[in-house]
Amino acid sequence: MGTRATDTNKNDDRNINEAQREEYGADDIKVLKGLNAVRKRPAMYIGSTGPEGLHHLVYEVVDNSVDESLAGFCTDIAVTIHHDGSCTIRDDGRGIPTDPHPGDPDGRTAAEVVLTELHAGGKFESKAYKISGGLHGVGVSVVNALSEWLEVQIKQHGKVFEQRFERGKPAGPLTEVGKTKKRGTKVTFKPDPEIFDAVDFSYDILSERLRELAFLNRGLTITIFDERVDKKQEFVYKGGIVSFVQHLNKNKTPLHPKPIYIYGEREGITAEVALQYNDGYSETIFTFANNINTKEGGTHLVGFKAALTRTANSYAASSGLLKNGKDNLSGEDIREGVAAVISVKLPDPQFEGQTKMKLGNSEIKGIVESIVNETLSTFFEENPSIARKIMEKAVQAARARDAARKARELTRRKGAMEDSGLPGKLADCSEKDPALSELFIVEGDSAGGSAKQGRDRRTQAILPLRGKILNVEKARFDKMLSSEEIRILITALGTGIGADDFDISKARYHKIVLMTDADVDGAHIRTLLLTFFYRQMPQIIENGYLYIAQPPLFKVKKGKTEKYVQNETELQNMLFELAADEVTLELKGQRVKGKTLIPFLKKLLNYERLKDWYRRRRRDPKILLFFLNNGISKSMLKDKYQLKDFLSKLKAQLTDAQVGDIYDEEEHGGYGVEIKRLNYKVNLDTNLLLYPEFRELATLHSYMKELGKPPYRATAKDTEKEMLSTTELLNFVYEIARKGLNIQRYKGLGEMNPRQLWDTTMDADKRTLLQVTIDDTVKAEEIFTTLMGDQVEPRKDFIVKHALEARNIDI
Amino acid sequence: MRITCPMCKKITTWEENPWRPFCSERCKLLDLGAWASEEYRIAGKKEESEDETDNTKDT
Repeated sequence: MGTRATDTNKNDDRNINEAQREEYGADDIKVLKGLNAVRKRPAMYIGSTGPEGLHHLVYEVVDNSVDESLAGFCTDIAVTIHHDGSCTIRDDGRGIPTDPHPGDPDGRTAAEVVLTELHAGGKFESKAYKISGGLHGVGVSVVNALSEWLEVQIKQHGKVFEQRFERGKPAGPLTEVGKTKKRGTKVTFKPDPEIFDAVDFSYDILSERLRELAFLNRGLTITIFDERVDKKQEFVYKGGIVSFVQHLNKNKTPLHPKPIYIYGEREGITAEVALQYNDGYSETIFTFANNINTKEGGTHLVGFKAALTRTANSYAASSGLLKNGKDNLSGEDIREGVAAVISVKLPDPQFEGQTKMKLGNSEIKGIVESIVNETLSTFFEENPSIARKIMEKAVQAARARDAARKARELTRRKGAMEDSGLPGKLADCSEKDPALSELFIVEGDSAGGSAKQGRDRRTQAILPLRGKILNVEKARFDKMLSSEEIRILITALGTGIGADDFDISKARYHKIVLMTDADVDGAHIRTLLLTFFYRQMPQIIENGYLYIAQPPLFKVKKGKTEKYVQNETELQNMLFELAADEVTLELKGQRVKGKTLIPFLKKLLNYERLKDWYRRRRRDPKILLFFLNNGISKSMLKDKYQLKDFLSKLKAQLTDAQVGDIYDEEEHGGYGVEIKRLNYKVNLDTNLLLYPEFRELATLHSYMKELGKPPYRATAKDTEKEMLSTTELLNFVYEIARKGLNIQRYKGLGEMNPRQLWDTTMDADKRTLLQVTIDDTVKAEEIFTTLMGDQVEPRKDFIVKHALEARNIDI
Repeated sequence: MRITCPMCKKITTWEENPWRPFCSERCKLLDLGAWASEEYRIAGKKEESEDETDNTKDT
């Protein structure tokens, strides 16, 4: 340990010869008195008598060794924790001066003065001291004063000297004990249990600081040994603070492979900065002044932040990365995900703040700022891809900040509220137990009105939501949920929103029922709501709280009786039942009426539908029926002559058909032919016959043979009618079924009166609800993404076809 | 269950993911901000018509 270095700054020592430099004499030590004060008020000197103060003792001794390293005379420092609670710090520096201290009336050695006099050190001699850490200048004498005992060993000029102290007082003089070729200082001390609350050194605390020092002093080797547990660690970093930054980002994903390194000197002050972005959101900046961890920051940090913000903004602006050019990136945004180390070295550092951990020298701000500005803007220019990544991250941070603000506003803003704090639009239920309460989210105010009147006020709450319509272009109206509606929804649900606030246990209803119109608008609102629940409140769905109401599609009236019909299939079945009561058909030569007729009617319907299906695909049903009527078969397609016969028969019967040339159809080892009629086209080949739709058509066709040959005869209410085709027959059946019926298709909930709405959709005893599952919402999300996509005109069909295949559950 | 984060499109999982269906708190927050500022809307069709168009493909 060579505590008080002489003029040691490497940059200034060009004119000083080696001899002068090595001359480290007692002259350089200035004496100040008053060690007893340290034992009386230890906290004044080392901050506290707790663990922090205890470990400060070690730092103080180590810092002196580091000073020696800064001066270029020390490369190795070793710290050892012993069983008895003592600690040894050893370095290979020049050693504390051992000659008598000039001006000391008692003729003591400089080493003794350094160890016993407060503020005795080269540090206070401005010429002698450029850069030093130390515990804010209190000196190693403080360590001595607060130790039960302290032993120093100095190897210098080929000799070994030793001296022991007890509670700060020398137990004897500095004595030469032997010879050596080595040099350096070794201090062993045992903190005084009379002073400290506890005297156990922590390996982890010490190694953290020692690692930090090794980072800050590139190339310096610092080793820590813990004799108590046989632990050892060596810290040496060739990369200096660059390694430090890599260490900070160790468990993170860096945005760019190498930290950015900045170094500069101005007016005898050096500033070193290393920074690297990671994909996280936190900001980790360590600042040091003369190796002291300035935990409260200070002027060097201020200078760095200013430079980073300025450089990033000017780069982002000049490279067009800011969207509209007017937005600025805030310092906070540009520092998101940054890991940085700032280290300045300066003569005469001023420390401020509560814990004296804030650098106060005002000139440092400008120096750091200009050094960082210069190097960083060059770096950005030379590394555009890295610069871009950093800017994009900052822009994202800005967006998130904005989103957080809006999300906060969403729930803080008060709208029209009742005294209960609930939205005015909500018609709440009287039941307070969420498990028994239902919330109907109803599309539109008029349906909301009906629902309010029709509901069971005990358990059913109504919240009307309209969605907001935005006229984007002429005759194009976009649908959205207004922020006000979202706010009302969240308030009504009672769960809160967002990472910190959402709480499923606060849900005010355990059944949340979406009740929307059966039209495109309704589907849009439902998709928006499902997407919102899925994204922001998935727990509602996981708990099975979300449902979709099933209002009927039709109302069927016959005389004075009314019936609600859920969907097309149900309507179809109802019509067939009615028809079967009236219509008599001749099947296989027998007259059939009543329930036994229904299966045939269903087949008839499917048959007609399948013919339509082919017609829509420009495949002529008439030709297909000809195939079926004339016993088309796969074997016929393998025999060219048979096929030719078949085709000539076709030409004779369907005179307007154009038959093409027979071609080889190799895949099935047969023949094929193209037949056109009007603007229809059919390729007769094995593929056609094997196609499931054709096979189904063939099956149904054979059932139709039960009708015999046309004309088909049907009787209803004593009138008999003859028909030439099955299509006519089906129309006749419908005609009879619909007689006297009034079928009303509900397009909107608003078309139902409160009573009807209750009867069909809300009454727990009769209604059907679809419970929404995560699978459904994943689908809604897909739909939403598609509808939100770049398509200018999304397809209505898409949403109609995918309108939620939710699980059917009777509630 | 593997899902796609609706915000950044990264693949993430449903289970043991506090930010589900998003990959991170950040993405979930960005989404909430978008709802709050009415960025999400479903584009309507020009001239809403009632007829069901057939879009099935030719087989």
